[in-house]
Amino acid sequence: MTTLLLGGLGLGLSLLVPEVLARARWTARAPGPSVVLWQAVTLASVLSAVGVVLVAPEELVRALDTGPDVEAWVLVGALAVAGLIVARLVWSTAGVLLRSQRRRARHADLVDLLGRAETGALQHPGGAPLRVLDGPLPLAYCLPGRAPRVVLSGAALQALTAEQVQAVLTHEQAHLRARHDLVLESFTAVYQAVPRPLRSRVPLESVSLLLEMVADDAARARCGPAPLASALCAMSTDGDLSTHNLSTHDLGPAGRAARRHDRTPQDDRRRRVGRLQRPATAEGSLRASVLALAVAVLVLPTAFVVAPWLAQALASLPPLPGW
Amino acid sequence: MASSGLGDLEREVMAHLWDAGVPLTVRQVHEHLSGARSLAYTTVMTVLDRLAKKGVVRQERADRAYRYAPVQTREEMTAALMLDALGATPEGPARDAALVHFVGRVGPEGAAALRAALERAGSRS
Repeated sequence: MTTLLLGGLGLGLSLLVPEVLARARWTARAPGPSVVLWQAVTLASVLSAVGVVLVAPEELVRALDTGPDVEAWVLVGALAVAGLIVARLVWSTAGVLLRSQRRRARHADLVDLLGRAETGALQHPGGAPLRVLDGPLPLAYCLPGRAPRVVLSGAALQALTAEQVQAVLTHEQAHLRARHDLVLESFTAVYQAVPRPLRSRVPLESVSLLLEMVADDAARARCGPAPLASALCAMSTDGDLSTHNLSTHDLGPAGRAARRHDRTPQDDRRRRVGRLQRPATAEGSLRASVLALAVAVLVLPTAFVVAPWLAQALASLPPLPGW
Repeated sequence: MASSGLGDLEREVMAHLWDAGVPLTVRQVHEHLSGARSLAYTTVMTVLDRLAKKGVVRQERADRAYRYAPVQTREEMTAALMLDALGATPEGPARDAALVHFVGRVGPEGAAALRAALERAGSRS
C-alpha cells in the first residue's frame, strides 16, 4: 500500500506537478519562493523514488510471509538499489559541477586575454570585475566561480544607454551574489541523473526563467523598472533575424521542432518585460504561502506515508543478532 | 599582485602577436614590449610558454629559433567565445552546464548569425 502511495506521489511530483507549476502564472509574482518550491518538488520526487525502492521489497516480503532469512536479504538488496540511486545523483552532481567549473575557468581565461578591463564608472564597487568583449552580438553575461566576471560585448555597450548598462550590470551582479549558478547546476544534475523516459527539461527551464526574474527584481529595486525593460528589448536578437535574413527555414528540422515545443527566448523575454511594466507589489502573503507549500511538499509525505510504514516495518523486523 | 601583472602581460603579448600577423620569436616580442620599461627576457619566455599551454598560441620551430603565432585570429576567438557563452558549441556534453546567465537570452538566430561571422572570419585568414 505504502509502495503504491509513494510510487504515485513520485510520478505525480516528477511528471504532473512540474507541468502545472511551469504553466502557473503566480510563480512570476514570487520568483524567489517559487524557486524554493521547485527545489522542494524535485527533492521530494527523488525521496519518493528512494522510498519506493526501500518500501516495495519489504512490503512484498511481508505479504508473501517468507522466512526471516529471505527478508534480511531482500532488505540488503533494497538498500543497495537505494544506495545506487543516491550514488548516481551524487556522481551526476559532481560531474556537472566539475565540467562547468572547468569550462568557466577556460572561458574566463580567454575573456581576460581578449577583453578590455573596465575600471571606470561602469565597474560596480565591490562587484565582480567587468570585461568588455569586442564582438558583433549584444551580449551581457556573468561568469560565476571563485574569480567571477561580468562580461559585456562592445555591441551591447553601443546599443544601451548608460542607465540601461547600469541596470544590466546590477542584474548580473545579483546573479553572482546569490550564486544562482549553483541552483541551476543542481537542477541540471537531477535532470542528467533521471533515466531517459522520466526526465524532463521543464523544471530546469522554469527555474532558469525564475532566476532571471529574481535578478530583474534586484535591478528594478536599484535602478527602477524602465531601464532594464528597455535594455531587454534593445538586446533582443530579433534584429538579427532581419539583418541576416534568417528564417525558421535556416534553423533546420531540429530548430523548427524546438520552436514548436519549447518556449522561445522571445516568450521568456516578453514575460520578463511584462512583469517590469506592471507596478511592483510586495506580495508578502503570496511569498509566505509559496514557501509554506514548499515545506509541506517535503514534510507531509514523510509524515503521513513514510512514518507509519517505518513504525510498522520496525515493529515486524526480525530480531537481528547483535541488536 | 604578481599573477594579475602576468595576466596583463599575457594580454599585451597576445595583442602584439595578433597585430604582427606573422610568427614572432621571443626576442622580437621582448624587444617590442621592453621599449619603455625593464622587462626580463625570461619573463616574456614564461608568458609565451603559458599562452602555449593555454592553447591560444602555437609554437613553431624555424631557423633554429622558436616562433610563436596565435592559433586563431582575434575575430575568430571572440566569435568562438561568444558561441561558447551561448551554449551553442558543437561539443554535446558541455552543453549541460549552464555557463552563464543572459540579460537577453539569444535564440538560435543569434547563434546562427555568430556562426556565420565565425565562418567569414575563418575564410578570410
